[in-house]
Amino acid sequence: MMSEVFPTAFLFFAGALALLALPQGRLRAGLLLAIPIAAAWQVWSLPEGGLWQVTFFGLELELMRVDRLARVFALIFTLAAFLGNLYAWHVRDAVQQVAALLYAGAAIGAVFAGDLITLFFYWEGTAIASVFLIWARRTEGAYHTGMRYLIVQIGSGVILIAGAALYYRETGSLAFETMTLGSPGTWLIFLSFGIKSAFPLLHNWLQDSYPAATVTGTVILSAFTTKLAIYALARGFAGTEILIYIGVVMTLFPIFFAEIENDLRRVLAYSLNNQLGFMVVGIGIGTEMALNGTAAHAFAHILYKALLFMSVGAVLFRTGTSKASELGGLYRTMPKTAMFCLVGAASISAFPLFSGFVTKALVLDEAASAHYTWVWAALVFASAGVLSHSGIKIPFFTFFAHDSGLRPKEAPTHMLLAMGITAALCILIGVYPAPLYAILPYPVDFHPYSGGHVVGQLQLLLFALLAFAVLMRTGIHPPEIRAVNLDTDWSYRKAGPWVLARISGLVSAIWGAVGGLFAGQIRAAIAGFYRSHGPEGRIAHIWPTGSMVLWLAILLGVTLVVVYAA
Amino acid sequence: MSNHDEDTSNFPALGRALLWVNKPGSATKIFWGLAAACTVVFAAGFLVDMHGHFDVENFGGFYALYGFFMFTGLILAAKGLRVLIKRPEDYYGDKAIDREEYPADQLERLDHDE
Repeated sequence: MMSEVFPTAFLFFAGALALLALPQGRLRAGLLLAIPIAAAWQVWSLPEGGLWQVTFFGLELELMRVDRLARVFALIFTLAAFLGNLYAWHVRDAVQQVAALLYAGAAIGAVFAGDLITLFFYWEGTAIASVFLIWARRTEGAYHTGMRYLIVQIGSGVILIAGAALYYRETGSLAFETMTLGSPGTWLIFLSFGIKSAFPLLHNWLQDSYPAATVTGTVILSAFTTKLAIYALARGFAGTEILIYIGVVMTLFPIFFAEIENDLRRVLAYSLNNQLGFMVVGIGIGTEMALNGTAAHAFAHILYKALLFMSVGAVLFRTGTSKASELGGLYRTMPKTAMFCLVGAASISAFPLFSGFVTKALVLDEAASAHYTWVWAALVFASAGVLSHSGIKIPFFTFFAHDSGLRPKEAPTHMLLAMGITAALCILIGVYPAPLYAILPYPVDFHPYSGGHVVGQLQLLLFALLAFAVLMRTGIHPPEIRAVNLDTDWSYRKAGPWVLARISGLVSAIWGAVGGLFAGQIRAAIAGFYRSHGPEGRIAHIWPTGSMVLWLAILLGVTLVVVYAA
Repeated sequence: MSNHDEDTSNFPALGRALLWVNKPGSATKIFWGLAAACTVVFAAGFLVDMHGHFDVENFGGFYALYGFFMFTGLILAAKGLRVLIKRPEDYYGDKAIDREEYPADQLERLDHDE
């Protein structure tokens, strides 16, 4: 074993243990804030290189591979853990507190994993720890949703370890480095990453599970799992062209679903899926600037997505619902939450002076300068789509629009503080992107605030807003209604059980029919045997008790001979 | 429901200031303000150098038209999609979160006026 530092993940695990020794209350909530701060400081000051090796069943594992790509993801993960725990200051549920620490620790551990085995352990760790944030809601629906989530997440890990085994046989190495898609091993690893980063058709675990978690659990969930998968794709498959097209589809299809979804936390989950698409496109392009774009966008995205989940969570906390059809007009009594929500909305929509503007541009600019015409056109359309659900729908139908008559109290102070810090960071990154650019994996030479770029983006967004206003005033815009919408989860929540029920019905019908067909013969045969061999039967009369002893003696004799001969 | 005689004095100051948006005529003012802003950025598109990577970008009004029509198309397409995939809230039965109330013991539902 060689160790120069204490692995950052272990800091979180130790914290989770120490947590249980502390009484529930401010001390515990304080520790939940102190650990991410300590971890952030450590991540910031870590030297680059392989800092912790250990031999495990003859395999050399690298637990702390530190480089610029890993560091930027680990940093934002510590920041997200801090903000999430601050938002959850009021929570007095040990299950959620421990789960939040273990989850963040596992995600950071995975980011620093230098080999596929270590990655696998942490990969499954995030799955197991995070499901408790869903189960902590403690309802029947949350239990079943959590089960579905866990099966998908664990499944992704199983595919990863299968891929790693094949990859080891192909290359003789387990190092987690850039791979070329082609062999069965790399395809399996790719699929495993694809499940967690919610590729099209593999995506629905995300929209199914995130709205089912607790108020604070969803905020924490939104930061880690998918961005860990984005990191893994960036590390393992940068420049894999198919990712460009997968990413484009990811940016497009969720915007249609988000537009008609009623549960605002599910709207945000669709929107999250769409934002991951931009990052996946960046990985597919694979140039240094595109990878910078992916990392920067992941960084900014974690913040504004958390902010949006926080504001909707605060509404849920105060009103008991996050359904758009039940909300509206809450700005009256929750104006601060409304303002923070608007900052999140402006950031994700990439308005100039907000974080999304300076990070999404990196990816879009790379797509344009490489002349991927259709990719670029689709991404610009998707940018307008982001405005439709996250920029308009979330704040408008929650805080403005028609008056729901609800007059909830403003969010609690610690939630406002968490939202305030996050909102400030969103604006800071937008106004002064240089510090973020400085920690990206590669040197950045990019100036987002060119006249053309600002005007182009403002035109896109303001005219999309105008279209929204026109559609609202003409009554064409679809109303918010209580309903669920089908997605791929229909296949395993409805179609699968239906098919299984039909198969089981068919099998039992056949079994019954076949049994019925021969029932007469079987019953007659049994009756016949009974008549001759039963206690009143003729053969029973001439059964000497000694015959059984005789047969037993013969059997033992044969056994003896056989054993002797052998 | 909305109530013109509602006592707003217990709203937070920021909330009271924002009440302007619900005054009669405010929505129209916001609409025309937005239209004015759109006019400005549309004109600006022809004044600044767009530095586009594609020829179409260098037409000053490209992003405006693209944003307006693609957004409209998106909403209409989503409306069409809803016809196909909308189901009642209890579609997935009792053991789904869409049907259940959020557990009240995990919330702090307090009315502002109380």
